[in-house]
Amino acid sequence: MDDELAVKIEVPAELKLLRPLNLFVRGLMEQAPALAASEKLLDDMELVFNEAFMNVHDHAYRFGAKGRLSVEIILRQDRLEFRFEDEGESFDPNLIPPPDPDETGERGRGVWLMRQFMDQFIYRSDTNGKNLLRLIKNLPVPGR
Amino acid sequence: MDIEKRGTVTIIRTDERLDAIVAPQFKDTVKKMAEESALHLVVDLAKTRFIDSSGCGALVASIRALLKNGGEMKIARPSAQAKTLFELTRLHRVFEIFDDLDQAVNSFSS
Repeated sequence: MDDELAVKIEVPAELKLLRPLNLFVRGLMEQAPALAASEKLLDDMELVFNEAFMNVHDHAYRFGAKGRLSVEIILRQDRLEFRFEDEGESFDPNLIPPPDPDETGERGRGVWLMRQFMDQFIYRSDTNGKNLLRLIKNLPVPGR
Repeated sequence: MDIEKRGTVTIIRTDERLDAIVAPQFKDTVKKMAEESALHLVVDLAKTRFIDSSGCGALVASIRALLKNGGEMKIARPSAQAKTLFELTRLHRVFEIFDDLDQAVNSFSS
């Protein structure tokens, strides 16, 4: 692959797009040798993408607003980054506790999973009502 | 998703993906069955290569509905991806998990 492959798309945050987007992003990620070489890493990154999309769908636009979502995938040999930008409700990821096996709620595991799999989880809300989530994974480079 | 009865045990075989698209249907199906009788349920994940947090949530809702109605739930043949997910979310301490379907089916006490 070239030094960097960056794709930005704008989509409605609708559930019906979850699987088509996952498929597209998985195909894109296979362009990076480190990801193509590891089914597990591909699975992990597909899950992270899936959880980030659902986070916007379920929380940012939880009141049923048909919100827009900008998704950017930036792929380099040594790094993968997802950027999710929405204009919905913001949240404080630091208030989400780790999963407790004695507390068998149905929800609240997505952010925890994203944090477990990624090297960086950066979330910020700006005063213009935009929320940006950056998820960064350092990739192993063969021969380095 | 398909459902098989084997003696007193019900087996639900999930499809390739247990995600936010199918989680509500899965949850509703189990909840309905749980309310009809004290169900011995095995969720067979052999065909499922991808589970997300919504899928985990549906499994948690299912085991809760079963236990509330005197039933039990076991999980059979999870993929490596599912096992990782259960461990990271600590659900491996909530679910009884089997690598073999027959073992899961025969594990119910009565």
